[in-house]
Amino acid sequence: MASAWCWSCLSRLRPTTRAVLPPPSAIPRLTSAPFHSSAVQYAPPLKKKSNSMTQLKYRQGQTLRRKKKKTRKALRKRIILSNPNALEVEGMQEISAENIVDARLRGSVLGLPVPMLDQLRAVQAFKPKQGWSIFRRPGAVVRRDTVEMGRLFEKISGEGDAAEKGKVVKKVVTGTKGSGKTVHLLQAMSMGFLKKWVVVTIPEARELVSGDTAYVPVEGSKPTQYIQPGATSALLMRTVEANREVLSGLKVSQKHDIAGVKPTSTLEDLAKLGFQDPALAWPVFKALWTELTVTAAAPGMEKDFQTRPPMLVAVDGLAHWMHNSAYRDTDYKLIHAHDLVFVKHFLSLLRNGQAELKNGGMLLYATSTSNSPGVYALEVALDQMTARQAGTKPTSPEYPSAEAYSNADPRVLDLFKPIEGKEPQMELQTLGGLTRDETRGYLEYFARSGLLREPVNENWVGEKWSMSGGGIIGELEKLGRHVRSAAIPTPAAN
Amino acid sequence: MVFILGVNFPERNLLKASNTSALTSQHDPRKSLESFFGIGNHTSSRLLARFNIHPTCRVGELANKQVLDMTAVLSDMKIENDLRREVVNDIKRLKETGTYRGRRHALGLPVRGQRTRTQIKTPVKLNRMERRM
Repeated sequence: MASAWCWSCLSRLRPTTRAVLPPPSAIPRLTSAPFHSSAVQYAPPLKKKSNSMTQLKYRQGQTLRRKKKKTRKALRKRIILSNPNALEVEGMQEISAENIVDARLRGSVLGLPVPMLDQLRAVQAFKPKQGWSIFRRPGAVVRRDTVEMGRLFEKISGEGDAAEKGKVVKKVVTGTKGSGKTVHLLQAMSMGFLKKWVVVTIPEARELVSGDTAYVPVEGSKPTQYIQPGATSALLMRTVEANREVLSGLKVSQKHDIAGVKPTSTLEDLAKLGFQDPALAWPVFKALWTELTVTAAAPGMEKDFQTRPPMLVAVDGLAHWMHNSAYRDTDYKLIHAHDLVFVKHFLSLLRNGQAELKNGGMLLYATSTSNSPGVYALEVALDQMTARQAGTKPTSPEYPSAEAYSNADPRVLDLFKPIEGKEPQMELQTLGGLTRDETRGYLEYFARSGLLREPVNENWVGEKWSMSGGGIIGELEKLGRHVRSAAIPTPAAN
Repeated sequence: MVFILGVNFPERNLLKASNTSALTSQHDPRKSLESFFGIGNHTSSRLLARFNIHPTCRVGELANKQVLDMTAVLSDMKIENDLRREVVNDIKRLKETGTYRGRRHALGLPVRGQRTRTQIKTPVKLNRMERRM
């Protein structure tokens, strides 16, 4: 049997004179150290004995308490737009009314101007789980779809081609998870603010159907329709907060049956009546909508009339509006989302947008993949729309239709059907991945913010582009963040 | 504070228990409607639907008319002491007619054919000569 002693170490056991040894307090007391060849300094530090005063006894009450529900929610929902630890990107441009159509900026990240952040916050354009908090300042990458949208904004505002002025563009925005649908809406909103449009948003379509706000039946409607005063009042509040500058410059031009409206009051005053009294919210919203979509003043009120700006309507999470809501009618039957007046109003814009938005504008209704109820009828309807856009006739056998016995909701299918004898206005926009060049620009932004410490070259970008499923921006962001921790040099390498 | 059927509820209380916590509603003081004996998830959700009140409504958000309507409907229903009395009377009738079920009630044993070797804590606790609800 081998001895437990290391014989070569025994030679060192010769007693050393005290004067040669360092004072005993200078080296940690390790009883086994002389028998091993490794130096004392590599030994793991001695574990500190835990103090009996600080250690918790068995089943002793913990002082750590879960935070209150309200605080927890606030933490969950908070939006951080800046990270002071990230590097400031030099030469970063801001989005402006001029450069939204600039195709040369494709692939670069444009910052959002600071005064606009309040407006964007007011319309709830930022969502808590987006990665705004990793960069110095909020910005969004310019991609092909962004430039195209910029051109549309120019056209509708009547700057480039006068013939297109006052047109209504209606789009249903879809795309795979992380393809940037919500940020696309955000970019649209920022362009709307830059062009002095009126921006109306519904940041969470779900909130209208989840049964969390009050609902009141409309007397005498058949089938019964329901008003949601609380949600309407919130919408008015958002709209006024974000569009104060535009709304305060426009005067009332029609006669309204609402107490408190004077001929001299501005549209801001009108909207404010609605959020002071939720009972008035819906009539006020209707009045505001009429005001924003009129082309001429009522007789006798022409004095202060100004032409109304185009409107941007952005809805996120469209699928929630395509099935039964959580509300119930008096017979305890579920109410279909299309029977809620608020929802119906915005969905009817998809059908007859030109009739409603007389001053032109854009409707962007985005689906969501992170929060979607999965409505079969909507999937079929979107497939049909894709097929129509590809040129398939509804009579051809390739045209997709709902499976037999699938019980697809006819109301949803009807909503997306083309109107007979009319040019199809509603189009489907599917957001895909970034191109390689755009990917490169986007990842360079990570590198210049100090998040990514790897040389961004053609090969590396190509690899990341493939890994992100062909430039899906959400995946790219994950990769950009992930590399941050992997790229720190390890001491063991030498 | 809002009076519903003579009971005073704080305004921040939920009118109805959410589905997940319906089981504990009797012990949870925040669920107002289901704190009445005889009103559970089934009845309370139908009551809300009848008056077009959304499921997460708080007591303070109710309009005066809704409170009055609700009280009117509740006062027509057999809940609270009326319901308790009915249940106690039913058991009493079983005992008086000398049925097996009545006897089991009186003996503090399970009534519906359960085994008695183990697990009869509840009947031991509840079933007795003078049954209380």
